Amino acid sequence: MPGEVVLRADGLSKRFGGLQAVQNVTFDHYDGEILAVIGPNGAGKTTLLNLLSGVYRPSTGRLELLGQDITHAPMEHRCHAGLGRAFQVVRPFPEMTVHENVTVGALFGQPGTTLPQARERAYDLLERTGLADQAARAAHELTLLQDKRMEIARALATGPRVLLLDEVMAGLRPGEAAEAVELIRSVRADGVSVLFIEHIMPVVRDLADRVVVMDQGQVIAQGTYREVTAHPQVVAAYLGTEEGLGA
Amino acid sequence: MGTPASKRQAARKPDITGIALIPLAIFFVLALVFPFLPLGDRGAFLLQIGFFTLVAGIMALSWDILARSGQVSLAHAAFYGLGAYGYALLLKTGMAWPLAMPLAALGAGVISLVLGAVTMRLSGMYFAIATLAFTEVVRTVIQNLPESVAGGANGLLVPALLGGNSRGQYLLALALLALTAGVSLAVRTGRLHHAFAAIRQGEETARVLGVSTVRYKLAAFFISSFLAALAGVLYAGKTFFISPLDTFSLANSIAPLTTSIFGGLYTTLGPILGATVLRVAEEALHNVVKNGYLVVYGLVLMLSILWLPRGLMGLFRRGKHGGDV
Repeated sequence: MPGEVVLRADGLSKRFGGLQAVQNVTFDHYDGEILAVIGPNGAGKTTLLNLLSGVYRPSTGRLELLGQDITHAPMEHRCHAGLGRAFQVVRPFPEMTVHENVTVGALFGQPGTTLPQARERAYDLLERTGLADQAARAAHELTLLQDKRMEIARALATGPRVLLLDEVMAGLRPGEAAEAVELIRSVRADGVSVLFIEHIMPVVRDLADRVVVMDQGQVIAQGTYREVTAHPQVVAAYLGTEEGLGA
Repeated sequence: MGTPASKRQAARKPDITGIALIPLAIFFVLALVFPFLPLGDRGAFLLQIGFFTLVAGIMALSWDILARSGQVSLAHAAFYGLGAYGYALLLKTGMAWPLAMPLAALGAGVISLVLGAVTMRLSGMYFAIATLAFTEVVRTVIQNLPESVAGGANGLLVPALLGGNSRGQYLLALALLALTAGVSLAVRTGRLHHAFAAIRQGEETARVLGVSTVRYKLAAFFISSFLAALAGVLYAGKTFFISPLDTFSLANSIAPLTTSIFGGLYTTLGPILGATVLRVAEEALHNVVKNGYLVVYGLVLMLSILWLPRGLMGLFRRGKHGGDV
């Protein structure tokens, strides 16, 4: 069943001084898959995402995107190679309009794109993400949900094969989260593989094809939602935390 | 309004809302007419004020282009001085001035790439201090070249531009300001605007979205330095004497910054308008309050920045949404 591997992490480790934040993390992300990375606070999820997107370089290990070694590639090269990212804390360009924000992604994400092409593509994405009416507004005027939509539209504008999402549900009300889930499904339907970090377990259950569970910097389980939530080590890692497994 | 298809078509067009094209055109028409007015016996003096206003406009606008990429530089005196000295030295080799002018600017542009590369990872205060130090380095190097080459601390004589024809010099300065404004508008309506604004408003986010920040930050340096060096050439050819202390003075780095802020940052008209208002105000105050006119000048500048956080351009677009002009 699994198709081509789009993103492969092979023994990724990251050490900050005496702290081993991520240790020997290995997983494959398959084409068209929605892959969730979960784990208790401090498990190293965000560090892992920063290693994938190029904010940090790994101490050891190797990272491949579509068969290409990107372990040491700068962020913009990863973007050109097909890796998109939306941040947990949205980072709009505040003085630009919503349309301009997304145009930046479309213009520079795929070298060779002209400005009129980029603006049109950006507008298409605004329509898709329900932001067309906000196109001419300044980005700092958006609501949180609109900000998150724009963040995803902007990442999609770069034409990614793999989209990294860092806790995009954080701060959303339940109804809004359901909308965001639908948006992520539609992204996958367009052939973009999605890797997301999330701690809201019902969202993980609804959305993820496969789940990677981290604890103390290491991967302690991988598999379907049902498989990993039955895994004794996972149960142990979550026991006593207030989030529980949301069962 | 319209159908989705027509909206999409409209979306292709560059967004030029808020670019004050008509006021900009009016400025250039008035500036072009000015030297042909019957200025009377104060004509030569007024033309000279006009000339240095145009030079100040080139300096401010070229500084603003660099600032749009988030690089708040204090190296403008260096670019200005490199233009002035480059031009003077090229003339000494016997080169014709129409060739020496662009070559001096090109040289300053190339040297600015070195500064841009060195300061690539710095931002804010650290960046500003590094650019300030760069200015001192350039000044020291030029001052310590053999006196036979660059005149040392005493300075250097430069042949007068256009044989000292004041009106011709003014029109040349106006042409170079028009060139600077044209570059500024091209930047504003093209790829560079998106790259610069993205870098300024979130450098890491820009990189995640594929912006090659190194390339665009260097491009900003090159363009800015090239244009500032043209202002330096005008200065050298007008005053026909340049010295390291005057040419590389801190005031030449600070003035473009205050002028742009006063006029309106990240705009084409703002720095030009700022230069005009400030130069005229300075001269007028100088006549009215002979002693201490600088105190009054500083006070006016402070109050206007308090009342007009978006500069003079804020007057044009009260109540409109944010975004660059």
